[in-house]
Amino acid sequence: MKVKFIVIVMLQVILLTGMIAYRQHWVSTGERILLRTMPVDPRDIFRGDYVNLSYEITNIDLDALGANSEMRPNDVVYVALGREPEGTYKAVSASAVQPAGGKFIQGRVKQETQAGRWTISVRDDSGNFRLLSPRWFGGFNVGERVLFCLDGRGNVLSQSKEMPSYKPQCYTGEPLWAVVEDAKETKFRQLWVEYGIESYFVEEGKGRAIEASRNTRDLKVEVSLRKDGKGIITGLVMDEKVIR
Amino acid sequence: MQPSEQNFAFHRKLKQEIEVWLREKIITPEQRDRILARYQVLKEADEKAGPGRLITTITILGSILIGVGVILFMAANWSEIPRWGKLGIIFSSMLGSYGLGYYLRYGSENFPKAGGSLILMGSIIFGAGIFLIAQIYHITVHYPNGPLMWGLGVLPLAYLLGFRTILSLSIIDLLIWLGMESSFHMSGLYSSALSFVTLYLICGISLWSAGLMHRGYESFRNLSGPYIVMGVLLAFSSGYILTFDVFKESLGSEGLIMFYTGIIGMFFISGVLYSLSREKERGWIPEMLSLSFLMAIALSLMLFIKKVPYDLRHEGTVNTITLASNIIYALEIIGIIALGYIRRYAVYINIGILFFVLDVIARYFDFFWKLLPRSIFFIIGGIILLLGGVLLEKKRRKILAAFNLGEEV
Repeated sequence: MKVKFIVIVMLQVILLTGMIAYRQHWVSTGERILLRTMPVDPRDIFRGDYVNLSYEITNIDLDALGANSEMRPNDVVYVALGREPEGTYKAVSASAVQPAGGKFIQGRVKQETQAGRWTISVRDDSGNFRLLSPRWFGGFNVGERVLFCLDGRGNVLSQSKEMPSYKPQCYTGEPLWAVVEDAKETKFRQLWVEYGIESYFVEEGKGRAIEASRNTRDLKVEVSLRKDGKGIITGLVMDEKVIR
Repeated sequence: MQPSEQNFAFHRKLKQEIEVWLREKIITPEQRDRILARYQVLKEADEKAGPGRLITTITILGSILIGVGVILFMAANWSEIPRWGKLGIIFSSMLGSYGLGYYLRYGSENFPKAGGSLILMGSIIFGAGIFLIAQIYHITVHYPNGPLMWGLGVLPLAYLLGFRTILSLSIIDLLIWLGMESSFHMSGLYSSALSFVTLYLICGISLWSAGLMHRGYESFRNLSGPYIVMGVLLAFSSGYILTFDVFKESLGSEGLIMFYTGIIGMFFISGVLYSLSREKERGWIPEMLSLSFLMAIALSLMLFIKKVPYDLRHEGTVNTITLASNIIYALEIIGIIALGYIRRYAVYINIGILFFVLDVIARYFDFFWKLLPRSIFFIIGGIILLLGGVLLEKKRRKILAAFNLGEEV
């Protein structure tokens, strides 16, 4: 029995070592890319030992990419990636078939939905017109004075109305006070994809800084891609510093 | 006679029995004293040793605490410990507890209970290792592989050493894997949660049958408990949900067909192996037939109920199905309690009574049954049980009278 016991325990050790070797091989041989993260709904907060990550490629605008194929939840999807000037990658197409070449990442469809995109034009306090695209703009009307909180790239992080009893302020991002001149919502097909790189594990208490950075869109994630497009997180890039 | 748990039990039984022999004048008081004196060592050892089960429980709890402690230590010191350090802690604590456990249980030192608990701890740390590696590489996709590897990795150990604790751990892991993995295969994001209920129902029936198969073979009998207990609990809990007004929803999912096939295959194979075994118990035929019947019902619910058009389902049909499922559930409860008494198998009786109470409470407060004459159901059910009780008591008295044995009331 002793020999059999040792054999079984050794098999367990081999299984664990195999897991490590497989991942390590993936990390060291895969192609590294950088992905930009998106703010996550504030309700979905840091849960003690990991940070939830959402990427620009998490929600894909199928209409803008001209993708026609019908996708069902849990289907495998390949998202082709194109390099942006800053070195990060964005989605250029989505399909159920593995692309023959180029960079692509493999994920699973969570859901295909009808989503709305807002394009609003505002006039700021110095009289300049600007176009903004908040993620959501229901409940706001033309003529109202609104405080927008913007990140470095001009993306709207949050917005709130000015009211007699309440003067809003920006906790993250740059404030922009403006009057709404026009608001339009365009509907499009949106594909919600999960890539298996949505959690970053940290020790207790260290997640807040990463979260704050994620919520102002400063956070980039370095991902190593296997040949079949599966990704694995190899590091975080925060304020141009790499954390591994 | 060596002091051991089995011999202690023998001694306790002997003390009771010897009084009967004395009353029936088989032996004289002097003979009684001489017989008891012969086993004096056992008596003293039993009194001084303390309860064996308590020791087992304490050492198992100790192992679990240490295992959890190791995991928490890692979580709290995540970035302080380098990657190889984390892996080193996992490997050394796993191999250490396996090695020490084996030595204590089977080696020269004789601490079987503590040794067994340490081996269990090794199995828990093995699982912690799987999740730790997943964390080091930030793996979230296809997380079910974790419980699957854990469950399959420790299963051979359970069989080699005959450990019910490790077997239970393995079954729980595999059940968790089943739930997580099947959720990936549900055809829609908003698939009915009832698909899980029927999935676990057939899984419970299969585990139950696998437990019976283990009881049928001498070398595996020791390991039948976890299968039977978890199988019966799972089957009765999921069956319980199906006694409510749930039949408007779809009860199965096409994406789960491969799971259905595997589970039914397991049920079929274990059923056949059990029927081929030499050591079958009383009432095994009705038990296996009932399990097959339940399996057939569960399957038809999963595969066909969703195809019934909605408007047809809405009128009357749903009520009929709910009523039928309630009657079947009540019969199951009576059946398992009866089997428990026939075989003197306390697990069946206890689980049967537990779900009987839960069922009565649920039916009492059930809104659906407001439409039906609830009071009449309760009264009729009560009368049937009482009459059955009277009949059984009569029969029991007859049998006892035949053996000329009195009964303490």
